[in-house]
Amino acid sequence: MDYFIQQLINGLTLGGVYALIALGYTMVYGIIQLINFAHGEFFAAGGYMGVIFISWLAAQGVHPYVCLGIGLVLAMLYCAMLAMAVERLAYRPLRQASRLAVLLSALGMSIFLQNGLMLTQGQYDKAYPTEITAGGFQLGGLYISYMQCLIVALTVFLLLVLNLLVFKTRIGKAMRATAQDKVMSALVGINANHIIAFTFAIGAGLAAAAGIMVGLYYGTVSYSMGFVPGIKAFAAAVLGGIGNITGAMLGGLIIGMVEIFAAGYISSQYKDVFAFIILIGVLYFKPTGIMGENVDDTRV
Amino acid sequence: MKRLIVLGVAMAALALVLAGCGGGGEEQKQADPVLKIGTLSPLTGPYAADGNDIRQGAEAAVAVIKAQGGLPGFSDIVVVPADSACDPKQAVAAANKLINDKVPAVIGAYCSSATIPASETLAEEDIIMITPASTSPAVTERGLPYMFRTCGRDDHQAPAAVKFMKEVADVKSVFIVDDKTTYSQGMADGVAAAAREAGIEVLGHEHVNQGDKDFSAVLTMVKDRNPDLFYISLQNSSSGATMVIQARRMGVDAILMGQDAVFHPKLIEFAKADSEGMFCTFGDIDTSTQGYKDFLANYSSKYSDPGAYSAYSYDSAMAYLLAVRAAGTTDPAKVREELLKLSFDGASKKVSYDEKGDSGSNYTVYQVKDGQFVPYWNSLTGQKY
Repeated sequence: MDYFIQQLINGLTLGGVYALIALGYTMVYGIIQLINFAHGEFFAAGGYMGVIFISWLAAQGVHPYVCLGIGLVLAMLYCAMLAMAVERLAYRPLRQASRLAVLLSALGMSIFLQNGLMLTQGQYDKAYPTEITAGGFQLGGLYISYMQCLIVALTVFLLLVLNLLVFKTRIGKAMRATAQDKVMSALVGINANHIIAFTFAIGAGLAAAAGIMVGLYYGTVSYSMGFVPGIKAFAAAVLGGIGNITGAMLGGLIIGMVEIFAAGYISSQYKDVFAFIILIGVLYFKPTGIMGENVDDTRV
Repeated sequence: MKRLIVLGVAMAALALVLAGCGGGGEEQKQADPVLKIGTLSPLTGPYAADGNDIRQGAEAAVAVIKAQGGLPGFSDIVVVPADSACDPKQAVAAANKLINDKVPAVIGAYCSSATIPASETLAEEDIIMITPASTSPAVTERGLPYMFRTCGRDDHQAPAAVKFMKEVADVKSVFIVDDKTTYSQGMADGVAAAAREAGIEVLGHEHVNQGDKDFSAVLTMVKDRNPDLFYISLQNSSSGATMVIQARRMGVDAILMGQDAVFHPKLIEFAKADSEGMFCTFGDIDTSTQGYKDFLANYSSKYSDPGAYSAYSYDSAMAYLLAVRAAGTTDPAKVREELLKLSFDGASKKVSYDEKGDSGSNYTVYQVKDGQFVPYWNSLTGQKY
C-alpha cells in the first residue's frame, strides 16, 4: 500500500509538471489553432533562466526560498517576453497564411531556440543548486520530499490564478471571446493581436515555472530537455480536449500518473508506450478528448 | 566601351585562371601533403561532454607530435572532427563525411551503438579506426582488420564489477538499471549474469529511456525491494547524476555503483554530496607515470581538466601517429603492421594491440571521496589501494 501511495505522489508531481506545460499548448491552440512546437523550448529556457538567477542570488547570500521566489518570477517574465517576441516574429506575419505554413514556422522556431540555447549556454548540462530545497519528511512508510510538495503546491496555485484570470477578469473574457470568434470579437473592439500575444506570454510563463521545478527536482537542466516533455504535454492537451484549460490540467495529470504506474507496476520500458496508448484510445473513442474541444470553428 | 570592359574582364579572368594553374602545380611539387585525422564522437546532444573530450584528446596528441617536429613526409597534421551524436544513422553520415574529407584514420566513436555501424562504413574504404571509448565486445569481434580499441571490454568490466561486489563490498542483493543502448544494456546484462553466477540475488533489472529526467517510479521500486547495492548502467554522466540525486533524495540507502560511462568529473559536479561514497568501474589510469604527466601538461594548457576519455583518445591518436611515423606512409596495411608492433607508455596505460585490435582491460573501482574519484580497488590484483 505504501508503494502504491508513494507512486501516486510521484505521479502527481510529474503530472503537475506536464499540466503546466500542457496549458500553454492548449491556450495557444484554443486561440489561433496553432500547435506551437516551440513551446517545449520555453520550458527549457525557463529552466536555464532559473538556474542563472537562482545560482546568482544564492551566491549573494540571499535566503534560499527568497532566491527561488525571485528566480521564478524573473524566469517567468523572461519567457513571457521571449514568447511574445517569437509570436511577433514567427507567427503574426503568417496569420493569414495556411495552417501548414505556421506549423512549419513553429517547428523552425523550435530548432532555432534549442540551438540558440546550446550556443549561448553550452552543450553541457547545468546543475541546479539543489541543496536549497533538499530534504523531506517521513510519513508512515512514505517519504515525501519538500520539492514534491513545492511542485504540487505551485501547480495548484498557478492553476487557480489562471482560472481566475481567464474566467473572472476583463482580459480573460476578451481571451475567451477571441477564441470563440475572432471576427465578432474584433467588431466589438477587442484587439486580437494583443490578446494573442498575451496568451503566448501566459503559456510560456507557466512553462518556465515548470522548467524551474524540473531543474530543482531532478538536479540538472539541458538545452535539449524541452522536446520530450513538450511532446508529452502536447499529448496531455489533446487527451484533455485541445483548447480546454481544465482538460489540459486533467490530461497532464493522467499522462503523469499512467507513466509512473506503468513504470512502477509493469516496467519502465513501457511507460511511454502506455502514455500514448491511453492517448490513442481516447482519441479513438472520444476524438474531442475527455473534456471536449473548445475552439473557434469559424475559419477566418 | 561595353565591349572593352567585357574584354578586360575576360582577360583578367584568364590571367587569374592561368596563374592559379601555375601556382597550384608548383605548390604540389614543393609541399608535402597534409595528414588529416578524423575524430568521430558526439559533439552535440546529451553525450557532448565525453565527445568533446575525445576530440580534444586527439588534438592534444597532434599538438605533441607537431611540437616534436611533425611527421616526415607531411607538411602538417590536422584534426577533422565529425559529430556522431551517439546515433547509428548520424554516425554513418558523419563517417561518410570523413571519407569525403579523405582521412586515412578515425579516432572514435563513443557509443558502441554508433561505433559499430560507422566502422562498417569506414572499413569499406580501408580506413583505420581506433576507438577510445566503445567497450562492447562486438566492436573488435567482427574480424575487421583496421579496427582497434584503446579502452577495455565490457566482458571484462562486468566480471570485475561483480568481483568487487562479492569480495569487497560483500553484498547479497543487487538492483540493476540501464537505458537500453547497445553499451549500457550489454553491460547491465553482463553484470546481471555474473551476479547470478556469483550467488548475488538480482532483485530487479529495469530499463529507462535515454535522456529521461524523471526516475521516480523506478527508484520507488528500488527503495521497495531494498537491495544492498544499486547498479546504475546509464549512457552518460549527466543522467547518472540525475539518478543519483533522485535516489538519495527518495531515501534509497543502498551502495551506489556505476560503470565507465557515468564515471566523469561532471557526475560529482552535478550530484555533489549525493554522489559521495558512490563506486564506479573505469579503466585504470595511473596518473603518476611520465606518459600521463606529458599528456596532462599538454592537455590542461589548452583545455580545462581532462574528462574520462581524454587520455584514451590522446593515446589512440598517438598510437596512430607513431605508427605512421614508423611506416613512413598512411597505407593502411603498413600502418596496421606498425600498430601491432607498437608498444609505448601512453597517458592511460602501456599501449599495445593484439591481433583482434584490443589493448587489454585493467578495470579499477573508483570511489567518490570528498568530491573526487579516488582509486579504491584494482580488479587485476584484487587489492585495495
